[in-house]
Amino acid sequence: MLKRRRWNPDFSMLASVLQRRPASRPVLFEFAFNDRIITQLSAMPPDPSADRIYPFRRLIHSFYNGGYDYVTISAWRTNTLAFPKNIQENVRARSLDSGNLITDRSSFDSYPWPDPAVGDYGLYQDLAAELPDGMKIVASSNGGLLENVIDICGFENISLMTMLDPELARDIFDAVGSRLLRFYEIVSAFDTVGALIMNDDWGFKNQTMFAPEVLRDFVFPWHRKMVETVHRSGKFAILHSCGDVRAVMDDIIDDMAYDAKHSFEDQIYRVEDAYSWWSDRIAVLGGVDMDFLARRSVAEITERCHALLDLSAEKGAYALGSGNSIPDYIPDENFLAMIEAVKSWEGAR
Amino acid sequence: MKLDPQEILKQLARTVEFGKINVQTPYPPEMKGQEGAAELTLKALESGLNPEAVLQRGLMPGMQAVGDKFSRGEAFIPNMLIAAKAMNAAMEHLRPLFEGGDMTYRGTLILGTVQGDMHDIGKNLVKMVMQGDGWKVLDLGVNVKGETFLQALKEHPDAVVGMSALLTTTMLFMEENIRILRNFRPDVRVFIGGAAVSSEFAESIHADGCFRDPHSFARSFH
Repeated sequence: MLKRRRWNPDFSMLASVLQRRPASRPVLFEFAFNDRIITQLSAMPPDPSADRIYPFRRLIHSFYNGGYDYVTISAWRTNTLAFPKNIQENVRARSLDSGNLITDRSSFDSYPWPDPAVGDYGLYQDLAAELPDGMKIVASSNGGLLENVIDICGFENISLMTMLDPELARDIFDAVGSRLLRFYEIVSAFDTVGALIMNDDWGFKNQTMFAPEVLRDFVFPWHRKMVETVHRSGKFAILHSCGDVRAVMDDIIDDMAYDAKHSFEDQIYRVEDAYSWWSDRIAVLGGVDMDFLARRSVAEITERCHALLDLSAEKGAYALGSGNSIPDYIPDENFLAMIEAVKSWEGAR
Repeated sequence: MKLDPQEILKQLARTVEFGKINVQTPYPPEMKGQEGAAELTLKALESGLNPEAVLQRGLMPGMQAVGDKFSRGEAFIPNMLIAAKAMNAAMEHLRPLFEGGDMTYRGTLILGTVQGDMHDIGKNLVKMVMQGDGWKVLDLGVNVKGETFLQALKEHPDAVVGMSALLTTTMLFMEENIRILRNFRPDVRVFIGGAAVSSEFAESIHADGCFRDPHSFARSFH
């Protein structure tokens, strides 16, 4: 059920943010909601027996009713490109070392590499009938390049492989990267799609997972190609990358040419600082810290959201949202306080 | 030409620091074809050095050097992993010689990632660095319940305990675990680490400390 909103959805508002221009009203950004929030916002319960469109209708309604100008659709929800893995899916936490499907040339050769062109890509077109006027899809792949390689190989294994067998490591990165590139080529061609998220975690709390020169060698060239592909289709490219990536921010902005950066954590650096450092060069999305959202009061969340909107009001290049996503441990009232903050801030202007 | 034992130890430390495992391994490219930690350990023993000296004055300084670089942000986790691999290659030759009980440890560390959390890279790094710094490490793995930490402490009552959590949700188990451990031994020292935790949080749950990286943790005992 679609509810009346304070304003109609208008993807050009997010486009303004991504072009680092002031939007005429506050803009919200979120990568993913937990299912409880989807049900609450859409007023549509999950229904495993429903048709293939129904889960996306729920998702669209939840983003619409939440006040967003788009719906994020991650490929894990679709029947498109997915790399076979040895890990338990849908668990809250898992080891980065649970892969180990490719350990040598022979296991590389026998790995069941998926055909990236096979899948239900028609979904992205079929959703045109479901999208309210003004809304677009913001699509992402099923994990990023480094994430998929780590899931397939295990972190320790691929770490050592980049040093002890760099030729095999390169073949693995290229096999995954070329398939993700094809995914982005296909998806960015749909009129329903307005922007693409490349979701690829590169950092730990204190530094990047690999030395910047290793990332530049194995990972970044593929991201540069993915961003080029997306831009060629006239769409926007958003990087979702967790952890401390300060050492490679110039690569992200100047070399890969991303339009926006998403995922920030207070323990590494506050989004307010990120905005002051980078918003002249790249849009900054979200950043209300997950721990802050999980454990602070509604009043504190509202206050921080208002301050962020104040900070970015003049220059733009910012959309309000969480530091990462809305998992089920974020209290519903705290998430709702964040999305309501755009209305109370707008009302107070 | 017979090398000076001190020179062998210096070279050994360098092979660990830079992750040169043995003569065959291609990494690092600038040491290609040179002897690695495995060969130099044998050479050190042949030169008359005792296993304790090889460990304390060859291998441990190498791990400390890479750990120092990691603390300064000049080395990365893969560098720590390959350094640990080089150290392990050396230990293959030393371990049988220590089986008679000659090895002395700085102390025992009980280590684990708390209940509900499967993340282990940070914990494994702490393990490597602490072992490299002369600690006996009892690694309980991931998803470790408070009762399991307690059982290990009962078996090693002089140990210190390290708990890791990556997630905001799982770090909340740390407080309860500390309560369980202190009920058994009120003065047990418990340290916490992981992406989710902070010094402020450590203080709030009465942990003995929280460190930015494994090497700072090791150094705190020096």
